[in-house]
Amino acid sequence: MTRIKGWLIILTILVISTALALGTGPVDISLWNMSATDKLILFNLRLPRILSSFFVGGGLALAGAIFQGLFRNPLADSYILGISSGASLGAATAIVLGFTSPLAIFTGVSFFSFLGSLAALALVFYFGSQNGSISPFRLLLSGLGVGLFLSSLVAILMIMAEEELKALIFFFMGGFSTSSWETALLALVFVPVGAWIAFYYARDLNVLLLGKETAQSSGVNTVLIQSVYAITAALLTSVSVSVAGLIGFVGLIVPHMVRMIFGADHRSLFPFSFFVGGIFLILCDTIAKVVIAPSELPVGVVTSLWGVPFFLYLLKREKGEYGI
Amino acid sequence: MIDKTEENTLETKSISFGYGKTLVLEDISFSIQRGDFVALMGPNGSGKTTLLKTLLGLLPPISGEILLNGRPVLSYGPKERAKLIGYASQEPSFSFPLTVKELVSLGRYPHSNRFQDSPEDEHAVEEALRITESTSLRERKFTTLSGGERQKVLIARVLAQASHLLLMDEPTTHLDIYFQLHILETLKKICREKNITIIAVLHDLNLASLFADKALLLKGGESVAFGKVQDVVNENSVREIFGVEVAKKIEPGQGPQFIFLRRPVP
Repeated sequence: MTRIKGWLIILTILVISTALALGTGPVDISLWNMSATDKLILFNLRLPRILSSFFVGGGLALAGAIFQGLFRNPLADSYILGISSGASLGAATAIVLGFTSPLAIFTGVSFFSFLGSLAALALVFYFGSQNGSISPFRLLLSGLGVGLFLSSLVAILMIMAEEELKALIFFFMGGFSTSSWETALLALVFVPVGAWIAFYYARDLNVLLLGKETAQSSGVNTVLIQSVYAITAALLTSVSVSVAGLIGFVGLIVPHMVRMIFGADHRSLFPFSFFVGGIFLILCDTIAKVVIAPSELPVGVVTSLWGVPFFLYLLKREKGEYGI
Repeated sequence: MIDKTEENTLETKSISFGYGKTLVLEDISFSIQRGDFVALMGPNGSGKTTLLKTLLGLLPPISGEILLNGRPVLSYGPKERAKLIGYASQEPSFSFPLTVKELVSLGRYPHSNRFQDSPEDEHAVEEALRITESTSLRERKFTTLSGGERQKVLIARVLAQASHLLLMDEPTTHLDIYFQLHILETLKKICREKNITIIAVLHDLNLASLFADKALLLKGGESVAFGKVQDVVNENSVREIFGVEVAKKIEPGQGPQFIFLRRPVP
């Protein structure tokens, strides 16, 4: 598929799914005859919810695409590498101990979630590398180990917490039912920044796919590029976790779908993954709202329920071009 | 573009390199003229790859000096240096479906703009595809190519990058005999047509003697011999560095042939 055609299709789907999501909810709203309550619902509930899900989905897909390229590992993703667990532990600690952020632009939860994801990344990298080089399997095992360990720390925190237990459970269930302009703003500020950084260095990351030494011999400042991408992916992961809790597999599946359709050049992979991830989560959230209305499904259940079969279909269809 | 006034493309003055106290390379000196095809030979673990990385400026020597076009190699900025020396490592593991054209374009990294390839970049990529005879592969995914095709494409990438000097780590390893010859013919053609200097790690005595102009023999991190390939690669040097008895036959009108007589010298 050509890229221009791809963009046209993606932008069309974005408009349609946004309209669909705006029109879906427990209250029926008529566009031509809106009451004050209708306007309130539309602009203070549904719009921030759509923006949150779009930027969280985009952020998760980008974080996955970055981790896959950075570690040259098609199985990498913030969830599998345990980075999401680090972000959760940071967030849970902030909730239980009532930490506040030293920086005004972050909330306490998002700041400590960012610290948590950076710390998890450092641990995964430390245990996953040997003599400075990373093997794909070692990295995955290290990520699984670190992730499980951090998740059990989260479980201990939950048992110890009494008053905050409800807040914690609510937090980890994930989803956008509590989205407000405040949470949307966090994603609106940081995800585009991360997306721009990812896009800006995309060509350097392309060269890094050939291996560290080849990249260095081509003039790539590998230390800079690897650090920039590691921090960016950790930031994107922690913002997503702070806004919507744990949502798995978007980061794994969306970049692969995009690669299968548009190829592996990061200069197109990053923007396409961002938009496809965003649209995907808007649609999943809309489905989560309607399937068992008036209650809601956790959005993570929906992402897996129809994202995974579509991914498996693409996987079966690809003709060995993928090198996996 | 071709500057005939520069005598030595690459010159090393007694370079040593090591990790901690162990020396991996010791006191290596040689100089290479523009357009030379140099075979870098030696047993496994003799420091061939380390030498290539040192020449590239990736590993700074603990003593000695490397001059590239008369200037210390470490005095160039990374991109400036990458425009002069290109490096093709042993085949990288690669699991993302870039097309051949995209992969060869990666070689333009030190030259081109971050977002947009210039007509000059396009031209360099097409020329690299042409000279490696891989133009017909350009829209294929790299991951679907055979070993020999991959090697051609990797050569095209490094060719699109550098204008002067190419360092190739085992370009013919794992290839069938057709592609071994084909790849070496391609490299030779690059040397002759473009006056590009090539240093390639080669293991096959016959192929090295047939294609290379010069040979640098390494053993245990030391340079055992350096000179014209027909002078340097012979029964004595092969026995000394590989511990293998060979007989060298020279047929008129052909390259020298090595016949393996015996297993390792006890």
